[in-house]
Amino acid sequence: MKDGVNYNPSFTQEVFRNVDFGDEIKMCMQCGVCAASCPLSLKMDFSPRKIFSMVRAGKREEVLGSEAIMLCTSCYACQVRCPRGIPVVDVMHGLANYAVKQGYVPRKETCGFAGEFWKQIYRIGRIDEKELSRRYFFLEGFFQGLKKTLEMMDMGIVMFLHKRMKLLPEKKIKGIDSLRRMLDKAGEIGKGGGGS
Amino acid sequence: MKYFLYWGCALEASGSNFLASLKPACKSLGMEFEEIDDWNCCGASISYVGANDLSIKVLNARNLALAETKGDYDIVAPCSSCYIQMNKVNHEIQENEQLASQVNEILAEGGLSYKGTIRVRHIMDVLFHDVGVDRIRENVVKPLNGLKVGGYVGCQSVRPYGEYDSVEKPVIQDLLLEALGIEAVSFPKKMRCCGSGIFLTEMEYCFGLVSEILADALSNGAQMVSTVCPMCAMNLENYQGRINKALGTDFDVPIVYLTQLMAVAFGLDWKKDAALDYNIIPPEGVLHASIG
Repeated sequence: MKDGVNYNPSFTQEVFRNVDFGDEIKMCMQCGVCAASCPLSLKMDFSPRKIFSMVRAGKREEVLGSEAIMLCTSCYACQVRCPRGIPVVDVMHGLANYAVKQGYVPRKETCGFAGEFWKQIYRIGRIDEKELSRRYFFLEGFFQGLKKTLEMMDMGIVMFLHKRMKLLPEKKIKGIDSLRRMLDKAGEIGKGGGGS
Repeated sequence: MKYFLYWGCALEASGSNFLASLKPACKSLGMEFEEIDDWNCCGASISYVGANDLSIKVLNARNLALAETKGDYDIVAPCSSCYIQMNKVNHEIQENEQLASQVNEILAEGGLSYKGTIRVRHIMDVLFHDVGVDRIRENVVKPLNGLKVGGYVGCQSVRPYGEYDSVEKPVIQDLLLEALGIEAVSFPKKMRCCGSGIFLTEMEYCFGLVSEILADALSNGAQMVSTVCPMCAMNLENYQGRINKALGTDFDVPIVYLTQLMAVAFGLDWKKDAALDYNIIPPEGVLHASIG
């Protein structure tokens, strides 16, 4: 096929149907206020505006494989300024969730950390910062874990000395079993897939 | 003035100086708090990778439902991420009947239901609108005269709803600082994001964000920076050494919670009530110079 724009309307429909807040992209008029407001847009491979345009053009690989969808700091600067009222942050989160479910790994470190974050909520109902860090550091095996632990150890020690670390392991909340049943059900019914 | 206090996970660990100072400072103002029994994490700003939107709604609806069965007070969420997650879900449930019934169907798995009667509020909202600057001023016994503080607002404490302050030009933190005798320093980057929950994993990208915020506060005359968010405090304070090393800067800026400054101005104990010894970059020197 010749170079040029190959529109793939099936991907656009896929996003509208399966991605949380995906159909909000219909409202985008490509003004670029989101890109101009974003603290990390210069580090992104595609600005939010471009991502929205690529969804419409059906660029499945480029959108789901982009780093941008995983670099949202959730600061809502774009969202409060969008003249069409698009919940830009929610759309970016929806795309990241969907991309991961489809087997893409947009930003390895953030993806790994965020995945562990959710697993811990599912496991105990709360976040135990030191345990979360440990699991994140050791995601890629023992030696990588040791290296990352040593790299960050100075910060951990300082936080411990300044009472900024909880010493005892976080216990499960009392209602963990029913919380898990709720999250399982929400994962099944909701878009994109969820749960554990 | 009674409220539910939903302090969340961070305020028990990396943000412990926020909770430790918030309780005594607010008690001095006649505020009374009740914990939501058996609360769970709000999901913060990065759960979306592992969970769909409905799962995150359910997490927050569970906390709202647990509070609703205990009383009809407003929920105060001092952590900005807890505040925005819970407030957002609350709005969505209150405004969308179909969603409300879907969420309730799921909550029924745990014998819970949420009618939608609760209000979720930020600590700055209740301090300014319920307590008021006059009452805060009356409680000040050690005015922090001459102290120049950059009130860093960040992202999620006002955005996206802007229910109690402007989303573009917020003033409430500055007015609260001024009630303590402080000179609130205005700096353009006070609304710029610090990197939030992805700082640890995207350090190289986020160093620049914090460096710009600190440099802006300093060049406008700030001696220290105040915040009302555990993530802002963590990113602005704990990473300063790494930022200096990576970018060749020489920041040594104390980062304090608004509630710590309140406790100091109210004449409370610097360690027990203001939790100043929890801070990694000590703010005591600058405070001594101000109070005398």
